[in-house]
Amino acid sequence: MSSDQNLSADVVIVGSGVAGSSIANELVRAGISVVVLEAGPRVDRQHFVENFRNLENKPSYQGPFPSTPWAPHPPNQITPNKYLHTTGPNAEAYQQVYLRMMGGTTWHWAGCAWRYLPSDFELKTRYDQGRDWAVKYEDLEPFYYQAEVMMGVCGPDPKVEDLGSPRAQPYPMDALPLSYAAQQFRQLIAEQTPWRVVHEPQARNTRPYDGRPTCEGHNNCMPICPIGAMYNGSYSVYHAEAAGAKFVTNAVVYKIERDEANKKVTAVHYYDPDKGSHRVTGKYFVIAAHCIETAKLLLVSADEKSPTGVANSSDQVGRNMMDHTGVQVTFISGDKSLWPGRGPLETNVIDNFRDGDWRGEHGAYLVHMVDDNQVDFATQLAISKGYVGKDLEEQIRYLASHTVRLFSHNEALPDPDNRLTLSKTNKDALGIPHPEVYYKLPEYTVRSCEHTRGVFKQLIGLMHGTDEEWTPGYFPQDHPSGSTIMGTDPKNSVVDGHCRTHDHDNLFIASSSVFSTVGTGNITLTVAALALRVADTLKKELLHA
Amino acid sequence: MTRNGNGSFPGHLNASPNAIRTSQSLRLMRRDVLLSGFGAILAYGIGGGSSEAAGVTTDPNIAQFMDISCRMTDRQHLDPQVGAALYNGIIHSVPERKAQLSKLYNIMKSNNPGTSAELAKAAEQADPGFKDVIHDIMIGWYRGVADGKVVVYRTALMFDVTKDAIYPKTYAAGGPFYWTTQPPEVERPTGQPALSASPFVVEPT
Repeated sequence: MSSDQNLSADVVIVGSGVAGSSIANELVRAGISVVVLEAGPRVDRQHFVENFRNLENKPSYQGPFPSTPWAPHPPNQITPNKYLHTTGPNAEAYQQVYLRMMGGTTWHWAGCAWRYLPSDFELKTRYDQGRDWAVKYEDLEPFYYQAEVMMGVCGPDPKVEDLGSPRAQPYPMDALPLSYAAQQFRQLIAEQTPWRVVHEPQARNTRPYDGRPTCEGHNNCMPICPIGAMYNGSYSVYHAEAAGAKFVTNAVVYKIERDEANKKVTAVHYYDPDKGSHRVTGKYFVIAAHCIETAKLLLVSADEKSPTGVANSSDQVGRNMMDHTGVQVTFISGDKSLWPGRGPLETNVIDNFRDGDWRGEHGAYLVHMVDDNQVDFATQLAISKGYVGKDLEEQIRYLASHTVRLFSHNEALPDPDNRLTLSKTNKDALGIPHPEVYYKLPEYTVRSCEHTRGVFKQLIGLMHGTDEEWTPGYFPQDHPSGSTIMGTDPKNSVVDGHCRTHDHDNLFIASSSVFSTVGTGNITLTVAALALRVADTLKKELLHA
Repeated sequence: MTRNGNGSFPGHLNASPNAIRTSQSLRLMRRDVLLSGFGAILAYGIGGGSSEAAGVTTDPNIAQFMDISCRMTDRQHLDPQVGAALYNGIIHSVPERKAQLSKLYNIMKSNNPGTSAELAKAAEQADPGFKDVIHDIMIGWYRGVADGKVVVYRTALMFDVTKDAIYPKTYAAGGPFYWTTQPPEVERPTGQPALSASPFVVEPT
């Protein structure tokens, strides 16, 4: 056992994803010392690009990102899983994937950068469902913009295409031009349905931005943008490091130490890969370690003073697990060729199902027509049908140009029974328990998915589709949230509206784990906005105390 | 996709990235060396010779594999280095494939089929087990995969047959916003399957 007693900073951050690295960057540029502890290794983009090209199962988003023995992450979305053990009636619907390495899971996000709607923060008040957040849209609006500037988000002019989230400033970059396939889809929806297709806000460059190039449409946003035109957390790491933040990789935090009164955190302890233990002290601590790992760390830190886990006097740590569980269908369009996969992956959305009085009955959702290169899929499908030679080649061209994939992000609700606990039987190489999640899909979400299936059937009919392949059941969208839920009442929530834990004055959480409801869009921009608000709070307290 | 005035792609060699790579296919790529093995290097020589299927190898099994492959793809030219790597991968994955490929070669020689479809039908009629052998060949050449490993990515034939419309992921070269233009129209094919259908299994993510 080695011990490094010297590591200390004003603020100690656990996790180097978009939340942790952006807080580090903000603080260090304000003259505040920062140490960031990252469980996984330091990595670089080209390594992942090469891994992707050599990957046989190209749609495996985790495939290019192998984990380390000391910081395992789920290898895939297969149940049973080697790391994230899911149980319950809808275990497969919660088989999330994420990454434990420098930069975090945004290495393989699709760059979809939605602001939530004002109503998303007031679901209980407006629709008598779920909970209200302890923060309102207008509180977060300046931080949404700050996050958009930090990432480099492109989006439509609200005077032309209002996405429903009021803006004080325009998007930092013009909207991404729609692909030919998306243009055709947009026209079809406009002419034959009461709905609309909008430009999806994207954290990818439509002009050179922040030292990164304009998107060239490699169609590989997930799992890895090969040129860095799409933002990921590593860029905030690089900025923070350049300004003087210290990042320690392969540092697996396993204990959160508090003072005698159990009111303040005094240190965190981490293992290096050889299980040498190190103690890091600070004035403030931020856990920004992904929804699942954050809850796991709080639970694994249980001791005599906090027998159910740190920051867990409410018994809500690990509960209220949510996701945008989705519906997916692939079919062959009978109309003109679309050739999806020319350009970025996700550029267009039907947004008519984000809000309405019906949210009192079922969850909201987004519909994506995925712009995914279908050549490999077409090839496998045509071979399975029995084609060979020239006939196979003609089938590949036809199927690749006519395959359409639709999927949805459907809203969940917080349910305390949907709970993350520590595995009693599975441990990692350092002896830390794996996470387990019990999941039963809320009826609110089930009804939402049923509504989505009806819409998808209508769309398939409009496109004269055949060969429908519905993904069985419900599939996870890797937007886990809720495990350290936000609220005004310390009896039923873990953090307050500033993401400060109710139990410990100097412990903050920056993660989707604080979400009170899961909202109606991809989670990352809201994670970043909340994180930047945490940074703002810390700056005020440290610089003006 | 951005094209210049005469309708061809801009840039090097007036071709898509796939075609550029194909034109360089005789250059011994590191991955090919690793996967095809030293014996195959000796058989084909380094950087020389023709890309004709026949007449470049001293390994009769690989030569037969190349003949079968040309018939099954209805092509006269296939890359022998890729072929050697695919053959080695296929027989490593399923050792019985070595004898099965030899039998398939004999069927081809005795039936003298004029098309891939004729050979596939004759083979499956002779033994339903040949369907899996032919699948391995098709997956090898069109997906660039054998033994569950990527032998080639950008030069897999599935990208060759779609290169007028779309780039392999991570290899786009049309410049920003190329994707806004109209890609080529593809009419519904009239050809029929030569083999009986198999379950289509999508690999989990």
